[in-house]
Amino acid sequence: MTDALAILLCTGVAVLAVGAALAARRPALAPALAAQAAGLLLVGIAGGISLLDGLSAGSGFTSDLQPAVGVDPLSGFFLLMIGVVGVPAAVYATGYLGATSHPRALAVLTGCFPLALVGVVTARDATLFLASWELMTLIPAAAILISHGGGAARRAVFEYLAITHLGGVGVWVAVLMLAERGALGDPAGLAAAGTGVQTLVAVAGLIGFGTKAGLVPLHSWLPRVHPLAPSNISAVMSGVMVKVAIYGIVRLLFEWVGGPALWVGLVVLGLGALSALAGILYALFQRDLKRLLAFSTIENVGIATLALGAAAVFTARGEESWAALALAAALLHCLGHAAAKALLFLAAGSIERGAGGLDLDRMGGLLRRMPRTGAGLVVGALAIAGVPVLSGFASEWTALQSLLGLGRQDAIAPALAGGLGAAILATTVGLGAICFVKVIGLALLGAPRVPAAAGAVEVPRAMWAPVAALGAACAALGLVPGLLVPSLAALAPGGADLAPGAGIAAPGTSLPTLGIALALAAGTAALLVARGRRAAAPAPVWACGQAIEPPLAWTSAAFTKPVRLTLWELLRAESDVRAVTQDGVLREVRHRGGVPHLFDTMLYAPVLRAALAGAAGARRLQSGSLRLYVGYLVGLVVLLLLLARVGALG
Amino acid sequence: MSSRDAIALGIQVSGVALAPLLVGGVQSVKARLQGRRGSGPLQPYRELRRLWRRSAVDPLGAGPVYRAAPLLVGAALALCLLVVPVAAYGTDLPAGHDILVVAGLLALARVAMALSAWDTGGAFGLMGASRDLTFAVLGEALLVMVALVAALPADTTDLQAMWSASAGGAIWTEPAHWCGALAMGLVVLLETGRQPIDNPDTHLELTMIHEGPLLEYAGRDLAILQWAAAARHWVVLVLAAGLFLPHPHSFAPAIAALALGVAALVIALGVVETWQAKMRLLRVPPILLAGTAVALLGLVSWVAGGGL
Repeated sequence: MTDALAILLCTGVAVLAVGAALAARRPALAPALAAQAAGLLLVGIAGGISLLDGLSAGSGFTSDLQPAVGVDPLSGFFLLMIGVVGVPAAVYATGYLGATSHPRALAVLTGCFPLALVGVVTARDATLFLASWELMTLIPAAAILISHGGGAARRAVFEYLAITHLGGVGVWVAVLMLAERGALGDPAGLAAAGTGVQTLVAVAGLIGFGTKAGLVPLHSWLPRVHPLAPSNISAVMSGVMVKVAIYGIVRLLFEWVGGPALWVGLVVLGLGALSALAGILYALFQRDLKRLLAFSTIENVGIATLALGAAAVFTARGEESWAALALAAALLHCLGHAAAKALLFLAAGSIERGAGGLDLDRMGGLLRRMPRTGAGLVVGALAIAGVPVLSGFASEWTALQSLLGLGRQDAIAPALAGGLGAAILATTVGLGAICFVKVIGLALLGAPRVPAAAGAVEVPRAMWAPVAALGAACAALGLVPGLLVPSLAALAPGGADLAPGAGIAAPGTSLPTLGIALALAAGTAALLVARGRRAAAPAPVWACGQAIEPPLAWTSAAFTKPVRLTLWELLRAESDVRAVTQDGVLREVRHRGGVPHLFDTMLYAPVLRAALAGAAGARRLQSGSLRLYVGYLVGLVVLLLLLARVGALG
Repeated sequence: MSSRDAIALGIQVSGVALAPLLVGGVQSVKARLQGRRGSGPLQPYRELRRLWRRSAVDPLGAGPVYRAAPLLVGAALALCLLVVPVAAYGTDLPAGHDILVVAGLLALARVAMALSAWDTGGAFGLMGASRDLTFAVLGEALLVMVALVAALPADTTDLQAMWSASAGGAIWTEPAHWCGALAMGLVVLLETGRQPIDNPDTHLELTMIHEGPLLEYAGRDLAILQWAAAARHWVVLVLAAGLFLPHPHSFAPAIAALALGVAALVIALGVVETWQAKMRLLRVPPILLAGTAVALLGLVSWVAGGGL
């Protein structure tokens, strides 16, 4: 069975690589992308088998610096995720890339990107891991530079590479220290190395993986870059790439460090809570659909990290079955979000094609014009908003249960963390509902707001079918999460004996998702019959007797105004009203408003200014004068001699 | 199924028919306190009958989301009635008895109403929906904190177990329970959409919250939505009476205590509604936040005191 798994996985990777290579050599893209999709399908199936049957294959982790690959159930779960997102994204690319400026180059990158992701999750030694990690960072940058030539895109890519590489140093430090101490293959991890080294590796790893996961305050690159990439690459970036960083955090916390300390768990929980809340708050006020989705990715990674933090705290307290439930919640949320967010990015790409833009205030009524893409978008948005009984509800329910379990611990720090975490998660879900109701309402419902939206046309089948497939995945994950949850819980060191079934059965309570769905469907059908055939007379919408014209249409800013007013002080929202009078007669009233991204203006801008000022100061040392350089050398020699004299050089 | 379970299930299902009585009760208490005779507690039934006979009027341009929303709201609230148990009895229905499922179903109903408002495109509906969703942000945090405090003695979020664990007098020696009760009071005001948070009898579109998205509906759709508003009263009042009002362990007295508790809450709602004016919109979120803080205080006192 193990051999079969290895063969399946290797075949998948080989087919994927052939697909990527074919795209470079052949003018017709469809066969190459089809090969990529087939390869990813095999990879996903191999991952699913590994996860569900608990199978491992290939090498285990090794601290040697020779390349080694292998797969275990945790890697299998992430391979499954790569398959779930990668196959629809590759199929979507067959319809999408043709209209871009460099279809062949982008098709090659479409294949290489999942290859790098597979490399990260199957690498079993430090060198291959770090090499795949860097490739995974560089490929989207290349895709953006190829598809957008402008200065703004170059600047965004520069910021992306700068932030992820500065933060990514943490990954190098953590992984190389682990390899140096021989802790990569050791089941006890770093336990023998002492708390000092454990702390250093944990902090370095959290900074490194957290930057890539987009955890606040290291998230600044994410909303700049995700909207720029071609939609099929954005879907994989937002759906899988940030989750691969979660994979790193799981390995780090539960295997490599050798049992997380309580404070590490609390820090992770706090980072997750901050990311969830900040991510959704800023997502709420975006008008650009893809930028909104990018902020929402920060939110969802935050929710998964929140549950991971709870799992770490439970592990530190020795509550193994609760830790397993919290870990299962985190991973289930990762998978559910991967499917829903990939769907939303693909649908956003279709809407950009169909309606000619991504500005939410310039859409409207697209459910009629693009019914298939629109229906998919409704499912994805409701799933990500945590509405029963789609994928988001199942995973957020499980995460909330584990946080409430943490709140019932008999020590003050975990109990308070659990209580606050649960309250923040509930707030996040509430804000998420507003955010995605806004997306559905502005984009799909009501009347078209601009002529371009009125003339939108449905995209070809290669572009709506992947959206529909991902919608089905969201629904399936919401209806029968219980098929997956026991396998996910078994990934925790303690493992949990959760009974497999359709719904989720947590200690002391249960979520019968299928029962809820059937009851809701039956209730809706009964009411439909009771309501009978309704003959409705049409009448204009009530607006105090006026006709609803485009200037009266409700906008993104109007719908989010109650939240903006409630949190005015916290958000430092801006508002500027100017009355234009002419000859004493009021001609017009102009209003400008917005919600600035405070992390950029208050955190990154001062750091950037300080760095630039430091560079300007350092430049003065480099005057170009030969005499000055000779002076530096003489000064250095004198200093060294003095130090040698007092014995400071040993 | 024992006879007790059958009776409890019967009461749960009869909530479908009894829910409008609660709304009528609040209205007639209010009328008495204002020195009017009022139209009696049965008035909501007359209104539902009148609406059921009327034909519908659809706003121009509204689509399938607008037409499906009342059905989904009605189904979600009907399922809520089945999830909230009567005492610790009744059978395990397909939807279970978890308090977080109640929160999820209420959220589903809210989202469906907000989407219907977007489908009409009318400003009043969207104004009400956006306010409703904004209150729900902190309202959900409050409800989750109440669930946590109520789950402390039972160590589970299963409503039947929570009901059993809060029975008897011992629980009232815990400050956490008092904090939870206070926070639950805010949940009741918010979810029933009563003054001082919202005014269900308003006819001024600019001040509407829950009523705003109902503005365009007529006929049977409106009847279903009015019934759903009444069912929301039933759900939160039964929850509040079951978790945070005194009740004994044994069956018959527990049912009597529940009936008395719900009646007392109906009277309390009428009194609060007469005594309090509707508060300004932006004053509501800080009060909900304060309620969350009170519940958190209850949690701290429970952990510090070592539980029961």
